[in-house]
Amino acid sequence: MYLIIAYDVNVERVNRVKKFLRKYLHWVQNSVFEGEATQATLEEIKMGLKDIIDENEDMVVIYRFRSAEVFKKEVLGIQKGYCEEVI
Amino acid sequence: MRKNYYIISDGKLMRDENTIYFENEEGKKPIPINTIYAIYALGSLSITSKAISYLAKEGVCIHFFNRYGFYEGSFYPRESLISGEVVLRQAEHHLEKEKRLYLAKAFVEGSILNMAKVAKKSGEDDTDIISTLQSLYDAKSIAEIMGIEATARNAYYEKFDSILKELKFEKRSRQPPENEVNAMISFGNSLLYSAVLSELYHTQLNPAISYLHEPSERRFSLALDLAEIFKPLIVDRLIFNLVNNRIIQKDDFDREMNGILLNENGKRKFVKAFNERLEKTIKHKDLNRNVSYQRLIRLECYKLIKHFFGVEKYKPFVIWW
Repeated sequence: MYLIIAYDVNVERVNRVKKFLRKYLHWVQNSVFEGEATQATLEEIKMGLKDIIDENEDMVVIYRFRSAEVFKKEVLGIQKGYCEEVI
Repeated sequence: MRKNYYIISDGKLMRDENTIYFENEEGKKPIPINTIYAIYALGSLSITSKAISYLAKEGVCIHFFNRYGFYEGSFYPRESLISGEVVLRQAEHHLEKEKRLYLAKAFVEGSILNMAKVAKKSGEDDTDIISTLQSLYDAKSIAEIMGIEATARNAYYEKFDSILKELKFEKRSRQPPENEVNAMISFGNSLLYSAVLSELYHTQLNPAISYLHEPSERRFSLALDLAEIFKPLIVDRLIFNLVNNRIIQKDDFDREMNGILLNENGKRKFVKAFNERLEKTIKHKDLNRNVSYQRLIRLECYKLIKHFFGVEKYKPFVIWW
């Protein structure tokens, strides 16, 4: 499946969330990650995030798609982060 | 779903906290560790020991190629899947002549059948390739089997010039390749060899004990054995596609060392198409689910293990579509 994760967390924790998500997904822009994942990876990500965030204060949104082909992505302005398989 | 990363640009691979970064003049590109299956280093790449140890921990192989695109070696991390039993059985099948001949013949049979299928699909007559099978079944030694493999491959290569619409193949030439098609065959085969090695890493098999190729050649020769089966359907078909659809053209090559080799732009196109092919899925008729070409290689390893333990006799993979 394909994931898009957007988060809005307190400044104290924002870097920890970023570092954690960097292990699994591609950084797209501040507070947004996306990438291919399996069900197991998703569970891992969810568990890891729950450990980091304060559920009374922060919010993380996970958009789940069957594959990257089912939606269209459009970028306006500069492309900040991206990663291809051929570098 | 982990991916293969192909690094063609020159630069440095390093670890910062728990992420792998590729860095060069253009900047720093993070590569999420959990998305890396294997790394193909095709440019000149420096790697820090921190990055190496992190990749090793995650079981990521790094395959190195020199600037001409020839395979140089692999960083094969400490194995996590170890089974003495499998290694013993593997050795047993190598040491007992009849058992070794069976496997060597199986690899060549798979190779011949796949070559015939690829030729036929491209509208060529495959009888001269298929006819080598009879002598294969009667072969009594490894050298004889190797000879038959070469005969079949020559018959198969003879058809390349009528399949390829743009570039010319003429004859197989290596080190250095004399023309564009040969350059692509050499490059594609070394990529495939590494891909097979990555799969072997994820099984209990020992990559150095082989059957068709001699294991004394100081390389992971089991990868060479298995690669024989997949060359026609992965590498050769890819080349037909790239040439006939004019994706790769004459200006994607450079003349170097009296030979012709893919230049950076050409490598980029080739590698991209190669990876797409590995990721391409087909519906597997026995498993009844979708599997990628890369997965097919792994399944072949599992079939070998089953064969060693006498669960199921090894039959090489032959394309059915």
